[in-house]
Formats: sequence, C-alpha cells, structure tokens
Amino acid sequence: MPNLDFSKPQRQSAVGIIALIAHSAQKVIRATAIPIFIFIIKAKATELAYVLLGAFILLVISAVFTYLSYLKFTFFLDEEKQEFIVNEGILNRTLLAIPLGKIQQININQSFLQKLVGVHSLQIDTAGNDGKEVSIKAIDHQIALALKERLLNGRIIAEAAKNESIEAERPIIPFIKISTSTLAKVGLTSHYGSSLALLVGFTYAVFHNIKDLLKAFDTDNGQVEALIEKGFNLASIGILVIALLVVLLLINLVRTFIKYYNLQISKHKNSLLISSGLLATKNTLLSPKKVQLTTYSQNYFQRKLNMLNLELKQTEVGNQQDGEEVRSSNLSLPGCSKAEKDAILELILGKLQSENLLLKPNFRFLNLPIFFKAVLPVAIFFVLLNFFNELKPYYPLAIAYFFLTGLMIFISFKNHRLTVNQDVIIKKSGIWDITNEHLLPHKIQSISTFQYPWHKSVDVGHVDLHTAAGVVHFKFGNYTQIKQLVNYWLYQVESGDKDWM
Amino acid sequence: MQTFTNETIDLTLLPKYEEVVLEKPHPNYWKVIIINLSVFLVIFGAFATSVLFLDESFTVNKWYLAGGFAVLAVVLFTLYRASFKKRGFALREKDIIYKHGIIAETTTIIPLNRIQHVALAEGAVSRIYGLATLQIFTAGGASGNVNIAGIAVEQAKTIKEALVKRIDLVEEQTQHA
Repeated sequence: MPNLDFSKPQRQSAVGIIALIAHSAQKVIRATAIPIFIFIIKAKATELAYVLLGAFILLVISAVFTYLSYLKFTFFLDEEKQEFIVNEGILNRTLLAIPLGKIQQININQSFLQKLVGVHSLQIDTAGNDGKEVSIKAIDHQIALALKERLLNGRIIAEAAKNESIEAERPIIPFIKISTSTLAKVGLTSHYGSSLALLVGFTYAVFHNIKDLLKAFDTDNGQVEALIEKGFNLASIGILVIALLVVLLLINLVRTFIKYYNLQISKHKNSLLISSGLLATKNTLLSPKKVQLTTYSQNYFQRKLNMLNLELKQTEVGNQQDGEEVRSSNLSLPGCSKAEKDAILELILGKLQSENLLLKPNFRFLNLPIFFKAVLPVAIFFVLLNFFNELKPYYPLAIAYFFLTGLMIFISFKNHRLTVNQDVIIKKSGIWDITNEHLLPHKIQSISTFQYPWHKSVDVGHVDLHTAAGVVHFKFGNYTQIKQLVNYWLYQVESGDKDWM
Repeated sequence: MQTFTNETIDLTLLPKYEEVVLEKPHPNYWKVIIINLSVFLVIFGAFATSVLFLDESFTVNKWYLAGGFAVLAVVLFTLYRASFKKRGFALREKDIIYKHGIIAETTTIIPLNRIQHVALAEGAVSRIYGLATLQIFTAGGASGNVNIAGIAVEQAKTIKEALVKRIDLVEEQTQHA
C-alpha cells in the first residue's frame, strides 16, 4: 500500500532504485563509450583489461552514489506553510521549498527505463522570479497522481483531499483523442522545416563520425569524400530529391508517432490533462489560466483534411536576476479537428465575442522585404552576370526566384491581420503555415509602439505586445488606430484585477 | 458583491499615452554619452590603425581612411544627439512610459501591476555625474523590459522605492483575493 500521507518526509519508490541506477549507468556509459571504443581499437589486450576494470569501477561508484542520494532524497508537504519541501544531497544538503501557489505545471512522465521497472517521474515547474524546478525521478504511479492532485489543489483541507484521491481513481474520460490515422496525416503534412534540419544535422554527424572512426584506424585517405562524389555521379539529382522527400516524410512520421502516439486530452477539474508518447509516456497537467498564448496553425493540406495544430504557450522566462534563462514550455496538440479546436479554445479563453475590429497593414509592408529579399539578390546576380559568363544558364532560375519570393511576400502581407475585440486579440500571419495567435488582454506584460520618421506623414506604425510566452507583432498598421487600441489595452490591464498567471 | 456595471467605453475618452509630457534625461547625460562614444572611437581608431600599419598598401589610402573615420564619428555623434533628444520617460499613476530610439521612435509602456522587479545600475562614467540607469523587468523577457538611462541617482532611487512599494501592494492584494 503506497504511503499517501505527504505530511511526513518520504523517500522515492524502492523499486525505483533500479531505474535510478540504470539511468546513472546509462549516463556513465554514454560519456565514456566513444573514448573507450577508440581505445579498444588502438590498445593491446593487457591494457584493455585495465580499461574495462576502470570502467566497471566507475559504474560501481556511480551506483553507490545513486543509492546514497536515493537515501538522502526526501520530500514532504508542509500543510501549515503550504509549501512542498524537498531535501537532497549526500554531503551538501539542499533544502528546496516551493510555495504551492507558485507551481505552474506538474508533469508525470515515464521514460523507457522507468516503464520497464514501473515507476514514473514527477516534475514540478515553477515560474516567476525564481525559476526553480524540481523533479522526483522514481515514484509510484498512485503516489504521483495523488501528490499531483494535492500540490495543485494545495489550499483544500486534508479531509477534502482524501475524497479527491478517491475521485482521482475514477477513470477519466478523455474528450479528445487523436487517432493513429490522424497522426499519420499530421506526420505527412507538418514540420517539414525542422525535420529537414534534423536530417542535415544527422547526415553531418554520421559523416563526421565515420571520418573520426577512419582516422582512429589511420586509414582515412578521403574514401568518404570519394564515395560521396561517386554517389553524386551515379544517382541523378531527381532520384536524390525523391529519396530525400521520402526520408523526410518517414522521419516526420516516426517523430510524430514517438511524440504523440495515443494523444489524449481530458478535463480534470479546472485543468487539462494531456498524455501522449510511444516509448515514454508523457503526462502534462496544465491549468488553462496559466496559458499565455494560444496558437493554432494550418497549412493548405491540413485545411483540406480538416485538421489543425494547436499550441499552448506558457511562461518563457526563468530567472531574470541571474541573466536570461529562457525556457519554453509549449504544449503541442497536433491533428485537432475544427470542433475540437473550438472546444479547447473555449476552455482556455472562455466565451468569446463575435464582434471584431479587423486591422490590415498598409501596403508599405511590402517595400522592405521586396527590396531586400527579391530585388537586391536578383540585382546582385545580374551585376555578377556581366563578369562571369558561367552564370548565364542560371538566369531563368533568378527570374523564377524573383517572382516566387515576390509572391511569398505578397501572401505574407495578405495574411498579416490583427483582430481585436474586448475579450481577445488575434494575430494571423504566415505564408504556408497560417498561424493564429490568441492573446487575452490581461496577459500582456508590456507594450511597445514604434514608428520610423519617414512614416510619420502617412500615419503608419508598429506595435509589439510582450507576453510571458513571446511577442506578438503587428506591423505597418494605421498608427492612430494602434495608439487608440494601446490606450484601450492599457486600460484593460490596469483597471482589471485579473492576474496574468 | 458590488453592483455589476458594464458601461460602454468611449475609446476616445481613455487617457492617451501618446500625449503625456515626458521628462527628459538629465542634461549631464549628454556628457556621459560624449565620453562613452569618444572612448569607443579612440579604442576603435587605435585598433584599426595598428591593423592597417601592418599592411603597406593601406598607407597609400590613409587620408581616405582618416576621412572615413571622421565621417563615422560625425554620423555617430549626430545619431546619438538625435536619440538623446528623443529620450523621455513618465511615471503615471498606473504605468511607466519610456520613449527612446536612434532612428525609429519606440515608446514602451509597462503597467505597474506587471512589473516583476526593479534594479538600479550605475555605469562608471555615469557615476561621476551622479546619474543612474533604472532597469524595470517584466515577465515579458528582454524585449519587454525597459532601461531608463540618465536619471539623477536621487530621483532614480525615489522612483525605484515608489515602484517597489507598488509591487508589494499588488502582490498583497492578489494574495488576499
């Protein structure tokens, strides 16, 4: 029977030691694997024995340390002060006290190792002035759930809390479930950019590592480069591009499945419980009022398939006094239908008015991007063309580039919109992925307006709304209108007593 | 519970941030800017000359380079003078306004109930003239913060105290709520 009384200091789950030790062993192995591997190749048999012995001793030491820190790690809930207290450290003892009111988010996660042993980790995020963060790495599922409930509903007296933990055992019916087929569609239609970056990074790493390995063998005579050159000669560019696309889509699919497999969203009193993951299950409990920016995005394919990617952005700034420790805690919910999106938006933003004021940017929005991204590069190309004849065959490409960039800039201009009513500010933007950012006025931290001297006569200006989860920009708007809105938003922030988190 | 009212707000009747009369930075702050800029130009110039002397070909064009340097100095001083003229701040009952900018004119407004903390910084040159920089931090990150430079130390301290008191007041209110 797990100990559900949190008023006395308690240790982590006993079986969890296995997961903890395995975790630290994994760290040691990961840190020493490559040097040892190279050593194995280069060293003689006798030396090898010593190295392996050394590695083994290192593992034992790390296991002992992990065990000791397990013994010294205790946590409890101080009912009187309404603080959650964690004691840790083998020689240097640290006492961490987190006031329950400062808790921003509690995550219950399970890594692959933890899944094998059957324990979970509980991570407590706090925000504001001191970005403290606590994680309890091995904890029973039941205890984790009960503790989470208690921490989030800290002010409720113990009696009520008992009833709650019983309530918590009741199966929770998710109101949104993302099916496997939807996930497949998500994988095929989103994140092209980041997957491409991943692919490039991965290829570079593989290339680099093979070179290192060959160097270790003293056999690097440029075979890798030669092989790549040969590959380019053999395969026509077309096949390469198709292969690249297939690989890209596959990466996308795999990434999406690992991260979002079995994505479920359920309502949990005043908060949302989101769980997903294939190898490691990630549970996140979030309280809607702590969401700073609510964003949904959709591209052409996704619009045809009636699905959206929803993103809930929370506080970004950790500890300001010790410099800028920026950490984002964004929650992505891919593959929502329009109805599901509306349900979540209503949960987070509340009922919204339908009367809107729509702000469009001035055509001067186009000037700078067209000049710097389209005209200037093409002009440089044509100047170079006069000096280097080899560039001649590429000039249709330059023309195509000019029109394509121009079109993209025009689309971004057409999509740059700000919709305002008394409840919410909605900023729409994007070229391929059209993004809608929803900001509640009382979540504004500060406002900047700015104007270039040459725009004074035409009354064009810009506004930045700074929030704890990023900045919302609106550019090249009617400055008189912007100033009026800024006064209105200031009025809303300053007259309201709504807290931003 | 208070009687619930929900009157229409006339946007044109709201207090206008753009019409607030702003307080200029202390006149001595211009001297601080001149000193800081001169120190920068001397170091930059010394570094550039030492690099150029290593290459013979540059000695031919030395007058053009010197001229370029002079133009750079003049441009920098003009820009900073313009930015000095533009600077200004105002403390209203419910927010703090700061206007600045070298080319673009930026006005940042921080509502007092969104301030996280306030700090006072004194640069080496500023200290000679008894000036300080008031740093106001929000949860909006670096871009949402405000650094008001060139305020007399005494005044800066008074504003800081007032802001800190105000933050405590807000925190108390939310805790009681």
